[in-house]
Amino acid sequence: MIKLKINGLNVSVEKGTTILEAAQSVGFPIPTLCHMEGLTPYGACRLCVVEIGTGDRTKLVTSCTYPAEEGLVVRTASERVLKARRMIVELLLASCPQSKTIQDIASKLHVTQQRFRQEHEDCILCGLCVRMCKEQMMAGAIGFRGRGQNRSIGTPFDIKSEVCRLCGGCIYVCPACQLRCTFTEPDKAICGGCLNLSPPCVDKDQFHDMMCYMDPCVACEIKED
Amino acid sequence: MRRLTSIDEFNNLRLQLNSNRTAGIPTIIINAGTCGQASGANDLIRITKRELLSRALTDKINLRITGCHGFCEMEPSLLIEPRGTFYPKVNPKDIPKIIDAVLRDTVVEELLWKELGTGDTIELQQDIPFFKQQVRTIISRSEKVDPIRIYNYIESGGYQGLAKILERGKPKWVVEEVKASGLRGRGGAGFLTGLKWEMLAAKKSGSGKFLICNADEGDPGAYMDRSVLEGNPHSIIEGMIIGAYATGATNGVVYVRHEYPLAIKHLLIALRQARELNLLGEDILGTGFAFDIDVIKGAGAFVCGEETALIRSIEGKMGEPRQRPPFPTDKGVDGKPTVINNVETWANITEIIKLGAKEFAQVGTKGNSGTKIFSLVGKVKNTGLVEVPMGATIGEIVFDIGGGSIGKAKIKAVQTGGPSGGCIPVSMFDLPIDYDSLAKAGSIMGSGGMIVMDDNTCMVDIAKYYMNFLKDESCGKCYTCRKGTQRMYELLEDITEGRGTLEHLDLLEELAHVVADTTMCGLGQTAPNPVLSTLKYFRNEYLEHIIDKRCRAGVCKELVGAPCQSACPIDTQAWRYIAHISRGEYEEAYIAIREENPFPSICARVCDHKCESRCRLGQSGDRPVAIRALKRFVTDNVEPSVYKPRRSSEKQTAKIAVVGAGPGGLTAAHYLSLMGYPVTVFEMDSKPGGMLFSCIPAYRLPKEVLTKEINSLLDENITLKCNSTLGTDFTVNSLFEDGYKAVFVAVGAQKGRQLELEGEDADGVFPSIEFLKVFNQEGKQLAKGKVGVIGGGNSAVDAARTALRQEGVESVTLLYRRTQEEMPAFEEEIEAAIQEGIKLETLVTPIKITTEAGHIAGVEFQRNLLGKMDTSGRRRPIPIEDSNFELPIDTLIIAISEQPDVNSIKQDIEGGLEITAWNTLNVNENTLECSRPGVFAGGDVVTGPNTVIAAIADGKKAAKMIDRYIHGEELRKIEQPKLPSIYIEPIQISEEEQSDIERVDIPRLPIKRRTKSFVEVERAMSDADAEHEAIRCLRCDLEFTKTKSE
Repeated sequence: MIKLKINGLNVSVEKGTTILEAAQSVGFPIPTLCHMEGLTPYGACRLCVVEIGTGDRTKLVTSCTYPAEEGLVVRTASERVLKARRMIVELLLASCPQSKTIQDIASKLHVTQQRFRQEHEDCILCGLCVRMCKEQMMAGAIGFRGRGQNRSIGTPFDIKSEVCRLCGGCIYVCPACQLRCTFTEPDKAICGGCLNLSPPCVDKDQFHDMMCYMDPCVACEIKED
Repeated sequence: MRRLTSIDEFNNLRLQLNSNRTAGIPTIIINAGTCGQASGANDLIRITKRELLSRALTDKINLRITGCHGFCEMEPSLLIEPRGTFYPKVNPKDIPKIIDAVLRDTVVEELLWKELGTGDTIELQQDIPFFKQQVRTIISRSEKVDPIRIYNYIESGGYQGLAKILERGKPKWVVEEVKASGLRGRGGAGFLTGLKWEMLAAKKSGSGKFLICNADEGDPGAYMDRSVLEGNPHSIIEGMIIGAYATGATNGVVYVRHEYPLAIKHLLIALRQARELNLLGEDILGTGFAFDIDVIKGAGAFVCGEETALIRSIEGKMGEPRQRPPFPTDKGVDGKPTVINNVETWANITEIIKLGAKEFAQVGTKGNSGTKIFSLVGKVKNTGLVEVPMGATIGEIVFDIGGGSIGKAKIKAVQTGGPSGGCIPVSMFDLPIDYDSLAKAGSIMGSGGMIVMDDNTCMVDIAKYYMNFLKDESCGKCYTCRKGTQRMYELLEDITEGRGTLEHLDLLEELAHVVADTTMCGLGQTAPNPVLSTLKYFRNEYLEHIIDKRCRAGVCKELVGAPCQSACPIDTQAWRYIAHISRGEYEEAYIAIREENPFPSICARVCDHKCESRCRLGQSGDRPVAIRALKRFVTDNVEPSVYKPRRSSEKQTAKIAVVGAGPGGLTAAHYLSLMGYPVTVFEMDSKPGGMLFSCIPAYRLPKEVLTKEINSLLDENITLKCNSTLGTDFTVNSLFEDGYKAVFVAVGAQKGRQLELEGEDADGVFPSIEFLKVFNQEGKQLAKGKVGVIGGGNSAVDAARTALRQEGVESVTLLYRRTQEEMPAFEEEIEAAIQEGIKLETLVTPIKITTEAGHIAGVEFQRNLLGKMDTSGRRRPIPIEDSNFELPIDTLIIAISEQPDVNSIKQDIEGGLEITAWNTLNVNENTLECSRPGVFAGGDVVTGPNTVIAAIADGKKAAKMIDRYIHGEELRKIEQPKLPSIYIEPIQISEEEQSDIERVDIPRLPIKRRTKSFVEVERAMSDADAEHEAIRCLRCDLEFTKTKSE
């Protein structure tokens, strides 16, 4: 067993456990996007960063990929961690504002505005689909291509893959595919209300062509209360 | 080649090779690395071979083709052994001459290296400043070996280290030795090599261990690894075999960029030869030790230089880093323990074994032993590979070895460590170069790229350039690295294109910190360094881009517009009046000039024309358009009344006081008056004009021109009060008491600095400012007999040329402590002075003034040598002992700079005005506001002696600021970029015609008519010449105005 300290709490876990698993086992929430049980940890979205170490030698690492080490000191929600997570969420919102998953994470971290040039992309390259296809569907039909800003997900040379069975697993795990809820604010604002899912729909003109995850959306109504 | 089956056989081979060596026969060495071949080394090789064969000299002269020796700027170059003669930039047709000289054991004098400035020739490579100050442990070995001949390498002591450790038979000792040497990884991170090896040696692995040589050198501008691989591949191979022996590794890999074909070729040949000799393979030198090396070519992704990405790339997967731990020493290539070292690290291993750890650690500093190769590139005279001991300062590399900046530009920073590194400003050039100091300064050692930047480099643009590189070269796995670099690029793009706001800056900084914090590998963690370091040291440039919408380096196109306009401190649309002149529209040209400049005729004569130095024609190899002369042509030919200044219909009630009626004060008064303010101008002299009137001689600026221009500015809003002096007749405080709402202090720098020598108070010794003043104001001629002028600035040249024109003057000598090249005076003024017969005595410093009966009799001088460069890029004068000489002098004029007269402001210091250490007024340089609200200052009283145009610019700015101050507005506001907006149809001529036209020479008064005469020297050009000159303009403005008109 490996003993480590998470947010001051002594925790013992089996060898090979990641910090994320260790933290979750004792109930500390860590937001994740590219992580999914049953798939290999990848460490792409960086949302699950935690601060490890003591004194001047602390650093941020992704808890999903970092193995628990004997005597490790971990903080899952320090100032530095939260600052980083908020910026990551801002970056995510700036590229992919329509994602329900991202909006929910943003709400939890109290991010209601992003300050970059608004983009509308439908992929954050988290790689869940790639791993799903390969590891659970045993197909390996899609993969990453290119690097830097030209990185994308697809099949080699965009030729339809012969191993793809159109199972839809890739779509099932995608955190970015839902349409956005813009509330009544301008482009860059995020209403942040989606967390509070409950009562039925209120008819509102501006939501007519929106297909919110919680269709119909009432988040704004709840927020006004 | 015979297989060597024992260490003894190897030793015998070595002895045999050494005895075969044809000692004493001269050798011609041709540098044929990639740099050499690109500059024509292959032709040299061909011709030299032909010459040697056809003249049957093959047994009299040896030829050796080697890799790069480091001085890439001077390729193709030749080195002659054993003399050590160095021939830079050799032309193939000179080869026979050089061969003849080699045969006679002499040199071809005219082909040798020439010192800049003095023109002295230097024969020996080791005496040339570029080589002299280096410690070339690694690079110099490339001179000794032909990279494709293993015997050559063995002859020069190669594989001896390997034989030594195999004989000893103690792998542990090797690890200890490397540890003791203190060698740190040369790839940039600086991890202790010995420690890494120890970890690998301790690993037990049945299926083998890996050693990797990282030759994936991807930093823009860095190429030392390529050079070592090309020039001396066996040293890397030997280093790796030693490493394998020490750590028990079984497989070696050299991971090299596909873009390095010559390095790959040499490496493959070297590996084959090593195998043939049994230095690599199953049973190395019969000792039973097995190790072999593969070459794997990388496809050129920058991220593959990162060790975990490199490992994946070797495995045939996508080059993508992974989380550490596990470290490569635990799980590397195919899961086997692996050590990765950089090319230069491996090259150092052989050196350590050869010298011994102790000896090796003698070089460099504690904790940073050995030498480091840097590739010195950018805006520096000598570019190339530079090897220095760790702990050398940046200044030593840039100024002493690199030779400082090209031309007159000033070096402002150096970028180390490539895209992951940071910019270090010139003020920190004393920084010793080692891993820790650089990291502390916000940069990194990196693999050793060093890019020098001067004031023509925009730091925001540099940050943008690196972000552009990184957003393409990030592997893209970590979201913060991929998107973060893209977003940083986007923000920087906004800033450089004039869309930046202060929020951009905050966001940029915040994002940069998060990217550094949250990414996994070294690439992402260091990616924000270019942004963070420029933000730290050059924040002002960012603010200028955002607030003033200016790019002072003239780089960011969307802010610069036409370079001539952006270079002008007062935004004169030079392109516009030049375009009008080319069309013969002189009145329109005058209006274009006058709109921005209240003193067009004066500037047409005395401006230092920054516009010409930024002129794109001048920067593309031709001479710049003669902009100042064109202005002179217009102002001489057009009646000023064609321009009607726009007056505000609003009347302002707040009274404004302007102290000093020089160019700055009058400009401020003029613009304030146009805005409707009642202005009172106080002047200590009897006439307005300040330095224009009292110091600039009439042969440069005729008095009637000056008077006419000043009078045209005085109007009913302006009250001029002459003969009233600040400090005696009034104070800033009393002005406020008298009801003035704001004060602009522009009293200039009126006090000459003294030499601080004995006898300076003797008769016949004058500060230049006093000498010029009494002559220009009262006509008193103070110069008599032999005149000496000490100084090198404009004021010195003015004083010298004025003295020459006075009665009773025999001769005039200008005495300056550095050389003519370093003189701060305008070049054309110095030239004119020399033409007129003024003697120039440089590299002298006055030591003593001798007097006779209270009158100066002579001055004792000491001669100087030019020493090392200081951070301004000028070489410091160093006195030569026993070089003193006496010069008989009847009149001595001291012109070594001026300062503001502090006495005049003394009483106001209590009122809240602050003075700097240089006795100048302390102002906020962006708003010109002094420490006391309502008081503004500009011109020489703030900057010390400066140009007329700078004073005018301050005057304009002060008027704007005072207006904002009176209305209670914020002083510094976000401006609009000043881009060309008026379309003027260009004259159509063909490109050939355009390129045929040469710059018109500015007409000057014949020399004999200048003697004892104050008639203006420069003349206006003719109509034909002016139109001809104006057509030369490249019309940079059209890029901005053309699309609008269409």
